[in-house]
Amino acid sequence: MARVDRLKQRLLRELVDQNVELVAGLPRKLLKRRRRLRLGSSLLGLALLPVALLASSRLFAPDLAPIATHASSPSAPSRTGAPASAVSSASEALRKPAPRPIDPSVFPLAVRRIALDPGHGGFAVGTRASSGLYEKDVTLDIARRVQRLLEASSFEVVMTRDDDRAVSLRDRARIANEARADLFVSIHLNWIAGGNTRGVETYYLGPTDDPELDRLAALENRDSGYAVADFRRLLDQVYADARQGSSRRLAESIDGALFRSLSRLPARLPAANGSGVADRGVKTAPFLVLVSTEMPAVLAEVSSLSNATEAELLTKPLYRQYIAEALARGVRRYALAAESAPEKGI
Amino acid sequence: MSERQALHVGIDLGTSRSSISASNGQRHVVESYVGWPLDMVARKVLKKSVLIGREALEQRTMLDLHRPLEEGLIKDGSEKDEAAVRELLRHLVQLAGVDPEERAKFQIRAVVGVPAEALRVNKQQVRKAMHGIADSLLIVSEPFAVAYGLEELLHTMIIDIGAGTTDICVMKGRLPNEDDQRTLTQAGDWIDEQLFRLVRERHPQASVSLHMVRGWKEEGSFVGEPLAPILVTAPVAGKPTRLDITAEMRQACEGILPPLVESMFDLLSRVDPEYQERVRQNVVLSGGTGLVRGLGPRLERELQAVGGGKVRVVRDPIYVGSDGGLAIALDAPEGDWEKLATDEPKKR
Repeated sequence: MARVDRLKQRLLRELVDQNVELVAGLPRKLLKRRRRLRLGSSLLGLALLPVALLASSRLFAPDLAPIATHASSPSAPSRTGAPASAVSSASEALRKPAPRPIDPSVFPLAVRRIALDPGHGGFAVGTRASSGLYEKDVTLDIARRVQRLLEASSFEVVMTRDDDRAVSLRDRARIANEARADLFVSIHLNWIAGGNTRGVETYYLGPTDDPELDRLAALENRDSGYAVADFRRLLDQVYADARQGSSRRLAESIDGALFRSLSRLPARLPAANGSGVADRGVKTAPFLVLVSTEMPAVLAEVSSLSNATEAELLTKPLYRQYIAEALARGVRRYALAAESAPEKGI
Repeated sequence: MSERQALHVGIDLGTSRSSISASNGQRHVVESYVGWPLDMVARKVLKKSVLIGREALEQRTMLDLHRPLEEGLIKDGSEKDEAAVRELLRHLVQLAGVDPEERAKFQIRAVVGVPAEALRVNKQQVRKAMHGIADSLLIVSEPFAVAYGLEELLHTMIIDIGAGTTDICVMKGRLPNEDDQRTLTQAGDWIDEQLFRLVRERHPQASVSLHMVRGWKEEGSFVGEPLAPILVTAPVAGKPTRLDITAEMRQACEGILPPLVESMFDLLSRVDPEYQERVRQNVVLSGGTGLVRGLGPRLERELQAVGGGKVRVVRDPIYVGSDGGLAIALDAPEGDWEKLATDEPKKR
């Protein structure tokens, strides 16, 4: 009995601490530091601090980009393909002291706004099943379901498209960036040669030496709106980006949720317990839409239209809802980890 | 200050039902519906400015009716729903014996349970809603409140299936973190929706409402084999007709099993290997939807795949959450409540 009481006391202590953090609106670590420094005492100050940190980390981001370009390619200073805005922000950045890249995990920021990117659309139909089911229609349907689920858990959702129209990859990234989204999730369907594999896989940005992935990236990058020169410059700067770690964690969270829930389907879905779903795992690949987004970004291949079973399952609203719930769960779990354990969070 | 009477309360704010347990011995449950009269006429007829619980449900044609909690959380961004939650909380506290006129005489210390995977912003919403209704507030994960109330704090798995969410939590002798708990949205409401859809597919000619379906589920929900065929009455072309919905009921109820079992195994695999056996032998099923007939034995059967286990259903699923909250409120050290005031903190 005494043991239970000690345990209870310890649990209550932890519970009270957790709630005191909540009252203050800041995680414990920052709270202690603030007390030591005696920086202001009003609640307003406490509430504004995370906002200020967010703003400053974002302000640095565009500045970092041109500097990285200069550092990596000093021999080619005048690229005609570079957009005018990048040039002007580059000259602006030259006037400021060069900021060092910041590891965003230093700031335990809450994840509030999610950009959802239903792959393809309009004339860009994506892949197509032999039954005539188009990737663009399935991705939009799933994205709308994810939107409803995330909004129900108090996230804000920005959609890069909400109807059947073509949006260039560049515009997709711009929509997410301008909305200041905290995460970017692009939803796609895979096409795996051979047609036997039922698999989910999730990508974040990085180099790949797998020719198959280069092929897939080339497919998904088709309607980009970027010149080759821009693309190289973007790649150089992003591979070294701090948000890569966050993107990897987001990819792991989403991939885990997808695989776990799709490998156990309710009995009334056809082939539910037949051929298993393969977890093709978390991979890196140079998808353009991941290059130009300014927030942790992933591309999820939630299913493969090349597989007849999957193509059949995808015609069922229940299956699309299952996929959506898994995606939403992946996002939620990432957000939760980010705020409860800042050191491994965002 | 000191002459104010301390009242400790535990509140389980649920999507479908909300309950309160208070240190003065009062226990109450209301259905989580809040409605305001639609117009002057309705106000005159109802003679009230706001209706809560079953009363609101019964008068719904005259009301702007809100069910302000979705998936166990306050709906975000809707002022009407935020106001509805406040009305609901105020009503619960009043049921527990705090006359609004005499509110100032009480020092109310509340513990409110939220779903396991509630985000910081969701908890802030609860704090905001409780402003002025309680003097101090502790927010806990709902399955933790259940575990605390049952004194099952070590090597236990709590499966709390409500209307809006299923919360699963392994107690490891510490405050559960994100590796110890999961929230699923497949719960009572989800079953209602599935059943509604299935019945409409099977009997397209019958007129059926979600409300009727909810009633049928509360009567006859089951997984596995039914005790007797599930027969219900619904109008077909205006004529009351008997319908057999046994197969539909089974299919709808069993729909929650795949995600539930998957999360159960996932959480078990995160337990230290030497304690996994003890956790499996100590699975506790609670919440209104935890009462689905045959669910405990079915989960035990699923557990055989990983070495077998024992699942028991709590005796009082309606109040187990709020009772747990009350136990926490009574045990929390006196000095801590000041730090948890729901008012704006004073300048130090």
